[in-house]
Amino acid sequence: MSDVPSPEQNKRILMAKTGLDGHWRGPTIVATALRDAGFEVIMIGMVKAEEVVQAAIDEDVDLIGLNIGGHIDVAVRAVQSIQKSCQGVPVFAGGVVPPHAKRKLEALGVEVYPPGSQLPEIVSAARRLTGLSGA
Amino acid sequence: MQSQTDSKRWLTASGIPLKDFYLPSDIPDSHRKVAETAPGEPPFHRGAYPTGYRTKPWRIFQLSGFGKPEDENERIKFLLEQGETGFLMEHDRNTADHLYNVDHPEVAARREDVGLTGAVMQSVRDIDICLKDLPIDSTYGHAGGAVVQHAPFALAGYWTVAQRRGYDLKRLPGTGQSDYFLTYLGCVTKQQVPTDAGLRLNADIIEFCNEHLPRWVPVSIAGYNGADSGLNAPQELGALFANAVEYLEEIKRRGRMPLAQAARACGGVSFRISMDVFEEASKLRAARLMWTQLLKEHYDIADPKVSNLRIHVVTAGSRMQYQQPLNNIVRGTLMGLAAVLGGVQSLGVSGYDEALSIPSEHAHQMSVRIQQILQQETNIAAVTDPLGGSYYVETLTAQLIERAWAFFDEIQRQGGFLACLDSGWLHQQAAENQHKEFLAQAEGLQQIVGVTDHTDDISPFEVDGFMGVDDAYDVALERLNTVRRERHEAGARGAMQALEQACRNEDNIMPAMMAALNAEVTLGEVGDIYREAWGDWATPIQT
Repeated sequence: MSDVPSPEQNKRILMAKTGLDGHWRGPTIVATALRDAGFEVIMIGMVKAEEVVQAAIDEDVDLIGLNIGGHIDVAVRAVQSIQKSCQGVPVFAGGVVPPHAKRKLEALGVEVYPPGSQLPEIVSAARRLTGLSGA
Repeated sequence: MQSQTDSKRWLTASGIPLKDFYLPSDIPDSHRKVAETAPGEPPFHRGAYPTGYRTKPWRIFQLSGFGKPEDENERIKFLLEQGETGFLMEHDRNTADHLYNVDHPEVAARREDVGLTGAVMQSVRDIDICLKDLPIDSTYGHAGGAVVQHAPFALAGYWTVAQRRGYDLKRLPGTGQSDYFLTYLGCVTKQQVPTDAGLRLNADIIEFCNEHLPRWVPVSIAGYNGADSGLNAPQELGALFANAVEYLEEIKRRGRMPLAQAARACGGVSFRISMDVFEEASKLRAARLMWTQLLKEHYDIADPKVSNLRIHVVTAGSRMQYQQPLNNIVRGTLMGLAAVLGGVQSLGVSGYDEALSIPSEHAHQMSVRIQQILQQETNIAAVTDPLGGSYYVETLTAQLIERAWAFFDEIQRQGGFLACLDSGWLHQQAAENQHKEFLAQAEGLQQIVGVTDHTDDISPFEVDGFMGVDDAYDVALERLNTVRRERHEAGARGAMQALEQACRNEDNIMPAMMAALNAEVTLGEVGDIYREAWGDWATPIQT
């Protein structure tokens, strides 16, 4: 291990669940992969839209990952709150997101990684969205 | 010896190394004698009953529910018309898992989620609507209450409806679940009672059924929920029996019912069946043998009526892929086949749209059809334990048993099943397996058709998931307010006080819960009583 900090170590990612569904398998795997890649990951679990916004501000994060386990309108509300109050902080999402819901999120500028997405793909998205690599 | 023709290591899904082929000498000596027993004989690994499916086809038992109670009622009727032979009630998870009413701030903030994964049932009136015109006196029903803290409410609701319809509880068939693996391991709720309070609730249910509902399966340990979170086959087995030991020890400590009766009550369990056909079929064989062994060696119970484990299986939801979803019909068929080869009593096949939503009507119908094709067209129901005597399967069965007891022993060393949930040790085991599996996929060692391979599908999204209904929240809120307005308030208050009393002392809470449901006490009010009496579980993982 090198003592020189990786650029990822300066990047903070907030991960939250928009629903009251406690399946943790997906977000935990993603958080582990992001931490292995050097990112600092803050997990806040099942929270309401305003709690995501508050945590994003308090923790001064560079990227927000939403785990979506319910109705798409709940997730859309969370994204809209984030975009209003945390301008410039990108959002990506995963979870049970059927195609119609994926399209709604993408229209808001959210990158969506549905089940079956591979970890390297998600890690490279995190690098790109935090400005560590080109588009 | 490893194959010389391929550098890939051949392993089972749980990591047991596999040979090119198996010979009689591969079967461990300790297992050889056992392998020669017949189905229906202890230690039962060859099957719970000698005549198998000839005399009793496995029950077609599909999880179902969404929206308003009447939406769920309609879907259950549809499934029964399609040939389902038992039915399950799924309660809305936002409200039921947390014991919140819909006007709880956590639920109201996500109102569109309400009814998405189960019907909202906040009072006995809702449960009555959900069960409208269903033959609950003669059909094996699952009352819901998969979650430990929700079970007393769900069961008391179902039983109250049955009583009001004039049915004798002594003859009522069915089950609940009250499963620790679900919300303490696989799908952790935001707020739930601590594990020791949950144990008390489950012991209360077991004792209450022993006295009043002898045909009811009071609790059903669901290894499924551990396995679909990451526990591998021997871990699922070891943890499931460590869980059973917690129930038996608690019943023994309380000393209010014969232990053999309690063992009988705990002997209806559920497992997950995933894609490794032979390991999974062997797992069910291993389970039956282990239960017989456990009861004999730890509790000196050898009555075959008690020690033959009955198994329900649900095929692995996590193996149903988002990409090219129609491929999942094949996966459901293969997992269903493995379950039948392993000798299940009851089976649910996940919907092909599992990765997208709860099942659409068509996905549900397919799950029933898969089972009907297996039962009626393949002739696999003709002979009990068709895998018995296979050098490979007998060896694998013995290897799984050995590894599962090692995991069981490790759990005991760490203070038992509940202690391993409280400490997060089981979560850690599951998470490590998940992580390894995803790394294996990334490295190309594990291939999934349509996901990591053969991804060039011409119409990847011919399925868009089930949309549900959009009025579940509004109707639930209106009905909640109606109950509050119309019920006999003094009666409801009295019932709540009695329930609170029962929670605080050592009485069985079920009589008070029955009275509370009858007095139209609501779900959220029961939750408030629990939270006041027992507080919250300190969740050992961050999600």
